Amino acid sequence: MMPAGDRTKKGLIVTGVLFMVLFVIGITGIGGSNVLRYGFRILLYITIGEMWNLLSGYAGLTSLGQQAFIGLSGYALAVATTKYGLFYPLGIVAGLVISLGAAFVLSFLLLRIEGMYFSITTWVVAEALGTLFMSLMYVNRGAGMTVSAEPYPRIGTLYLMALVLCFASMITMILLPGSEFGLGVRAMRDDVQAAESLGVNVKRSRRIIYLVAAGFTALAGSLFFLNKGTIYPESGFDIGWTISMVFIVIIGGSGTVAGPVAGAVIYVFLSEILAHYPGWSNMILGAIAILMILFCPQGVIPAIGAAVRNSAKRRRKGSDGCRELDY
Amino acid sequence: MIMYILQVLINGILLGGVYAILGLGMSLTLGIVKLTNLAHGEYIILGAYASMVLQSALGVDPILSLFISVPLLFAGGYLLQRLLVNRAMKDGAESALLVTFGISVILKDALLLIFGADARHITVSYGNESIMIAGLSIPLLNILLILISGASILFLEHFMQKTMTGRAIRAVSDDTEAAALTGINVGHMFALAAGIAAATAAVAGLSAGMKWTWYPSSGGHYLLIAFVIVVIGGLGNVGGTFAAGIVFGLIQVIGGASYGMLISYIFLVVILTLKPQSMFPRIKKLTGGRGNDAGR
Repeated sequence: MMPAGDRTKKGLIVTGVLFMVLFVIGITGIGGSNVLRYGFRILLYITIGEMWNLLSGYAGLTSLGQQAFIGLSGYALAVATTKYGLFYPLGIVAGLVISLGAAFVLSFLLLRIEGMYFSITTWVVAEALGTLFMSLMYVNRGAGMTVSAEPYPRIGTLYLMALVLCFASMITMILLPGSEFGLGVRAMRDDVQAAESLGVNVKRSRRIIYLVAAGFTALAGSLFFLNKGTIYPESGFDIGWTISMVFIVIIGGSGTVAGPVAGAVIYVFLSEILAHYPGWSNMILGAIAILMILFCPQGVIPAIGAAVRNSAKRRRKGSDGCRELDY
Repeated sequence: MIMYILQVLINGILLGGVYAILGLGMSLTLGIVKLTNLAHGEYIILGAYASMVLQSALGVDPILSLFISVPLLFAGGYLLQRLLVNRAMKDGAESALLVTFGISVILKDALLLIFGADARHITVSYGNESIMIAGLSIPLLNILLILISGASILFLEHFMQKTMTGRAIRAVSDDTEAAALTGINVGHMFALAAGIAAATAAVAGLSAGMKWTWYPSSGGHYLLIAFVIVVIGGLGNVGGTFAAGIVFGLIQVIGGASYGMLISYIFLVVILTLKPQSMFPRIKKLTGGRGNDAGR
């Protein structure tokens, strides 16, 4: 095991190099617009996956209602650009502000609720928002709204925005566990009472995590709907967003930074392949998720990591038997 | 005017029977297995489709279809719990929750694939008839539905209190380890409880299907209704569930189609926020009694 500081440094270097490569791809447009379109989706799914991972994997706050912030920010973007004729970046900012405000208010209600009840209540809140938007004339009720932008951003621009957002979320996830705050959060996940008695401010830590996750998820939501162009209550506040986050984190591996990256790549390509079998795709995704939980609960990234370590250990064992203790 | 208000209130109370049976299965799974079954809404929809198919295939009154749909859903609920959820529960409550989430996604799309996206309704010849009592017009269907619900609840209460199996299920719920030491097969009992919960979903599906139209995707809607009722009524508390159903029914008739659900969602969040612990004494006992393996 490497010391935490070294691992953080290594993680940052890998992330930085990856960012440069993906940035060059975005700027030059090598590979054409299809690469950018896939990249855009993958980057946004990584972002929302990382944030669900932050909530569930790191802080033990298994939310089933993150779509609340996707819907709110998507609608904020649509209202700001179409109703008030604002430039779309202002719409994105509005979505962020509204989502953070909502998350701040909700945190006082939701964070008092424990365990499974927290999960269900987050879902209820998202459903309630969807129901509210269904009957609100201000957002055209169920008829939905369009996002207007003049000129409409090209896929290259969208890709670069998603890239910056995604890497900001990843850097947050790399820096967080090593920091004092992050250690407190992990202690809190494992044993709330013990963490509290050791001086971790559980309420404040949970609130910060919840707000950070809401903010990044909202930004990702804005970009999703900026690309899509239209939003409805059913698409904005769709439980499907949470299904994808859960799938991405479970497949990739909960509690790791690389997990959701692998999970999002697998998710986007798998759903692309499964799109050829309409009607079956969610069933197959659901079955894969169940099998993963039952037989490979740590996810693919930690499983591959363990396999690599094992084979390395076996090789070392050949040359130096004493190394066996060093595990 | 007063007559009208009275009529609305009475219908709200009668509808409470349907809402109570919607919440009953959820209350059982939460109270006994200590599991939030996110697929319970899909079980209810499955029950509605089962009654619909049996009605058209056999040409009998849909209420008689319960003789087939109840055992069918019981078997399904038992097997899913025994084969999948029990295994995941060893890794903790969260894994089990996510497995039921997966089951819900699979069932929803399977129903969509089999039955298509059309709105469905179980229609009966007496569906629009009303009875006049003291100048109030009360739909026959509403009376029938509260009778079905009341009978199911009484039957279940009797089973849980008076039979050997019912006692064993309650023993497992109260103290899993002690029950296991006396030779009770815990996995079997959890699966039985889950099977019974699914069987109540068959009754709930029939009731809801006769009262309202549904889609393959309506499961989430019914799951949330069930959850609200469990929270209002308290866990494993059959009388409380019935009372909660009536409160919920009244909220729906007062709030109307556009705000009824919204009011009950807000109601739920407020209750959970104000009484996050005391609302669920049995959950608290779980963390003390069954130890960390249940909490993780």
